[in-house]
Amino acid sequence: MQIRAYITRRLLVLPLLIVGTSIIVFTLTRVGGSPIGIYLSHEMSPDEVAELEARYHLDDPLPVQYYYWASGVVRGDLGWSGVAAAPVTEVFAQKLAATMELAVSAAIVAVILGISLGTFAGARRDRLPDHVTRIFAISGAAMPLFWFAILLLIVFWVYLGWFPIGRSDPDVWASISHPTGLYTVDSLLNLNFVAFRDALWHLFLPAMALGYGATAIIARMMRSSLVEEEQEDYVDAARAKGLPERLVLRRHARRNALIPTVTVIGLSFGFLLQGSVVAEIIFRWPGLGRWMADAVLRGDQATIMAYVMFTAILFLLVNLAVDVIYAYLDRRVVLGK
Amino acid sequence: MVDVADTPAVAVAADSAWRVRLGRFRELGVSIFSNPTTVAGLILIVLMLSIAAFAPLITEPNTPDPYQMPRDWSAISVPPGSPGHPLGTTNVGGDVFYGIVWGARTSLRLSVIVVSITVVVGVTIGSIAGFRGGRVDEVLMRIVDVFLSIPELIFALAIAAVLGPSFRNIVLALAVVFWVKYARIMRAQVIHVKENEYVDAARVIGDSKLRIYFKDVLPNSITPVITQATLDMGNIVLVGATLAFIGLAEAGLAEWGILVSEGQAGISAGRWWASTFPGLMVFLWALAFNLFGDGLRDVLDPRTETSR
Repeated sequence: MQIRAYITRRLLVLPLLIVGTSIIVFTLTRVGGSPIGIYLSHEMSPDEVAELEARYHLDDPLPVQYYYWASGVVRGDLGWSGVAAAPVTEVFAQKLAATMELAVSAAIVAVILGISLGTFAGARRDRLPDHVTRIFAISGAAMPLFWFAILLLIVFWVYLGWFPIGRSDPDVWASISHPTGLYTVDSLLNLNFVAFRDALWHLFLPAMALGYGATAIIARMMRSSLVEEEQEDYVDAARAKGLPERLVLRRHARRNALIPTVTVIGLSFGFLLQGSVVAEIIFRWPGLGRWMADAVLRGDQATIMAYVMFTAILFLLVNLAVDVIYAYLDRRVVLGK
Repeated sequence: MVDVADTPAVAVAADSAWRVRLGRFRELGVSIFSNPTTVAGLILIVLMLSIAAFAPLITEPNTPDPYQMPRDWSAISVPPGSPGHPLGTTNVGGDVFYGIVWGARTSLRLSVIVVSITVVVGVTIGSIAGFRGGRVDEVLMRIVDVFLSIPELIFALAIAAVLGPSFRNIVLALAVVFWVKYARIMRAQVIHVKENEYVDAARVIGDSKLRIYFKDVLPNSITPVITQATLDMGNIVLVGATLAFIGLAEAGLAEWGILVSEGQAGISAGRWWASTFPGLMVFLWALAFNLFGDGLRDVLDPRTETSR
């Protein structure tokens, strides 16, 4: 079957792409010189530094260093994070849930808001709601997240006091057990609704801030593909047989307009991943993004390398999933062309 | 032997070709100016570029380096409207108004340098891949795939981090990341354009490959690159300011992202101005080029236009 062959081929290319990415990123992150700085302290003698360099193979040529890094990865060893003073894999496991919770919430916000806004605007083409949505969408592409997030904090945290900053109220956080690390899920598993409310309350502003850019992308795509579908013959046919406009939209046009929108959802996921670095800094969210920002400022290359590879793999997988879903949804697509 | 270009028929043809081009140019202008959002973008662009151009006339340049923020240690965190500081100061006594004005120049420098480098590199690589095809194309495009597999900001962040915090390194990091799109666009264009009959015709009359490329292929492939470059004039400032906000530029530089970052510390104490104004400038800058680039795309490549 065609789709199966396509997926198999994409899956076979995936590891090559990942290895290629790791080689390029590894090389680029070493052009600035040895990453030894983060492991040093002031009391070390030159001999001790040399010994440390030898121990981490930093005195070897770049391909050899890459070999050591890659064989470490295969063994599940991503190196030592100087910033967190712990092995990278350990810190990753701790912080992954916080970032995922934020990114997934933002994605939910973006998909729901983006599709409804796009539908709303597309069905009212060239009227006021359409223009407003267009401005909203173009602003989203131009909006610096670091500014938007701070504006939200100024209004809703400082002046109105409606929403808190951070990920949780420490007392409430401590009152429940954390089997998954996802605060919302854990609070529900504990059947603790005070904690659940606390989780959502803390999640609201960062998810809104992070979701805005992606909402704009999705709304725009949804709007334009809906406008396009509305001009198709099948829509006229549905109208001609006397179907109310509302049902023409819901049963026919919107369903088909969703197909191209799926592709930008994958794209906007990259937006969410990179945005989480900024959102986590501003909202004091204890996730991977903030750790990465610290690592970047202090030259913690083991962390940088791990984080970049994590994002790349996630981004590749999401885009693969999107292409596959797209292929299933739209059988007209000729795969691999 | 008579040179073909001297014959009257060819001269007339060349003349009318010019007239056609001129006419098209006029049409282009009309369709750009008939769209209100495109015009709004253009007005904003002119405004932003004027601020950058006339910076020394708007505020007294700081000596010795006008790109460094002047520090007024007697006026730390004063609110907007204070004497000498119309938009207030940051927590280290930096005048927000000065930062906004000279930040426009910093942004202009950043975007022009990065766009120039990435367009040249991307167009060259994309053209080679598209024009040569075969193994060369295969290898170059796999490299492009790898670059596209990492979200832009994170890639730039990693590179800038390794190079060390400075404005110059932000420029370098963005240049490494942003050329890829141009390579992709240009390759697709070249493959499409070189199938045209006029390219075959040029080959038949014995034009060299280089001549065919510069005379026929490049001018007919370049418009989507121009659109992308316009959008990137905005995007690069957006990403660059984000890197600076995170802390990858020299502290003290008159740059919008740094000012937002300096202002961030004060918001819990109600000092909203030091982040709000410079951030607004980043937004307006990116908005200007997005609005204009969007309109330009509608006009220049009707194929990609889906909104009508």
